[in-house]
Amino acid sequence: MTLLVALLAAVAIASVMLGAGDVTPARALAVLLGRGDDEAAFVVGSLRAPRTLIGIVVGVSLGLAGALLQAVSRNPLAEPGLLGVSAGAAFAVGVALWLGASAATLRIAVGQLGALLGCVAVLGVVRLRGMGDDPVRLVLAGAAFSALLASLTSLLLLFDQRTADEIRFWVVGSLAGRHLEDLVAVLPSLAVALGIIAVIARPLAALALGERVASGLGHHPGRVRLLVILAVALLVGAATALAGPIAFVGLVVPFAARALAGPDIRRTLWLCLPLGPLMVLVADIVSRLVVAPSELPIGVLTALLGAPVLVAVVRARRLPTL
Amino acid sequence: MNGGTPSGYWHLTLGRASLLLERRALWVGALLLSALLPASLAYLVLGTERLPLAGLWPALQGSGDPFAAFMVQELRLPRLVAAWLSGAAFALAGCLMQTLARNRLATPGIIGIDNGATAFAVASIVGLGVSLAPPAMALAGGATAAAITFGLASGGDTRGYRFIVGGIGIGAVFGAVTQLRLAQVDIDSANAAYPWTVGTLNSRSPGAVTVLAAGLALGLPLALALGRSLAGLRFPDAVASGLGIPLKRRRLQVLTLAVLLTALAVALAGPVGMVGLIGPEIARSLSSPRGVPLVASALAGALVMVLADLVGRLLLAPIELPVGIVTAIVGGPWLLWILLRPSRSPV
Repeated sequence: MTLLVALLAAVAIASVMLGAGDVTPARALAVLLGRGDDEAAFVVGSLRAPRTLIGIVVGVSLGLAGALLQAVSRNPLAEPGLLGVSAGAAFAVGVALWLGASAATLRIAVGQLGALLGCVAVLGVVRLRGMGDDPVRLVLAGAAFSALLASLTSLLLLFDQRTADEIRFWVVGSLAGRHLEDLVAVLPSLAVALGIIAVIARPLAALALGERVASGLGHHPGRVRLLVILAVALLVGAATALAGPIAFVGLVVPFAARALAGPDIRRTLWLCLPLGPLMVLVADIVSRLVVAPSELPIGVLTALLGAPVLVAVVRARRLPTL
Repeated sequence: MNGGTPSGYWHLTLGRASLLLERRALWVGALLLSALLPASLAYLVLGTERLPLAGLWPALQGSGDPFAAFMVQELRLPRLVAAWLSGAAFALAGCLMQTLARNRLATPGIIGIDNGATAFAVASIVGLGVSLAPPAMALAGGATAAAITFGLASGGDTRGYRFIVGGIGIGAVFGAVTQLRLAQVDIDSANAAYPWTVGTLNSRSPGAVTVLAAGLALGLPLALALGRSLAGLRFPDAVASGLGIPLKRRRLQVLTLAVLLTALAVALAGPVGMVGLIGPEIARSLSSPRGVPLVASALAGALVMVLADLVGRLLLAPIELPVGIVTAIVGGPWLLWILLRPSRSPV
């Protein structure tokens, strides 16, 4: 844990120091030490530092959301991106942008509403049909749902050339050009989500033993599930409103956390805190450097990182139930 | 002689060759064809410039109003043919994959074959130093995606979750690669390629129609020849082996065929994967559950494609909606409906 936090700190500093343009690591370091020139101070203070902070928040949100979804659906493949939760948030935000909403708070609230609807739609459909135990059904339903919402979002792009640029840039998922105000607007809902997680961590661990055991221990599985979905919607909606849909973070991070922490959901959740930002920041740094001076969408990199993990999960000998 | 013919079938014999023809399949085919004909006529007549129905025949022959003749012969007829062919190919491939994976949601679009083909074809469209024609590139991409997915599902099992989930993952990677390619080129090339990545009949590359026609001419008979084993593939492995079906070889053949058809159709129209879901779904609801409705799927796919593209052209004229978006908007709710309704049969 300490090691991970140290690693995260190092990556965060690297994220501030590295980048396109002629603010070299040395000049950025000078700013951090309090004696840089104006240009470097601007680049570091107004561009790279907010970007790094947003990367951290997005990583925490997506990592936790993935771990929660996987715990509650008992399915290691349940991931906000794969299940269509991110697509729901993205579509909702796209609609909001299209209708002319520009205020950050509004965008975030709308994104969370979309994520909630996406979450309820996919999990609800799958539960209703009694296929909650079948990982493939869940993922197929999610993929289908995402495909629908993604094409609806691209429909918005085609409809309106004016907002198209705004949405197009955002719809692929990127940390570039976000403002600190957006981050501040997210913080309250993030705090609520973390509070929910603190409350439900114990019942969730009990739920991992099965619904009957959890009920026997005095927990309410239905209520826990509801709270989890709420927390996931808050987290994914916030992350998506900040950075656009970024897939696979919610898959890779809990996967790594489980590998390190073992079956205890509480330790897994703790480990997601440093691991999520770690993945997002590393992906973001690479996305900045690999085709500098232009950038790759960060979603491209997380997908490239995440798909092998997906395959690894699928290829695991053990039956993939949690 | 006909004593052994099952009810509902015609038994055709020609010398030593004999063929069982399902009567209902013929009726379904005729029904779909009779729906396709008026749809195609409407496709030729309607548009931003509306033609009188009476003027259509002279225009097709090249006589009459030269403007109308130009529009029909140069613009709408080729596009109609492209819609027929790509719709049929997508739906046929979808039907094959669904049977192979024993899952109605497991169409090439969901399994990532579309994305593989798109990724490679986009590379050739935005010109990244690769000079192969889009159909060849799409074929290479689709084959790559399918090969990886097939390889990941160890033992050539195409029913397990490994095949499907692995395919979804591979599809996501190729989707990312497409984004990456588009992000690397200048904005004009990216904009030019964008509608195509959604799926449209508007930016057909020359030659793709011919290649796809050849592919269908080859693929449909092959698929029909596999028809009997396909019907057997729907059963559990033990039953299928008991019926004398060489499972591994058959699966590989069916997969190859599905990839070929999908990739060539993607090269023509972009990833309009939903047709691969809707077409077979319509065909299956009309046909008897005894066989695998290959021809009906192809016809229904062509019909869906023609109608969807017509709607896309008319709905917001003069703006044109890409056909991929129209089919996704229709197909998405359909998909959810499939998930929601009580499952009667596994396929």
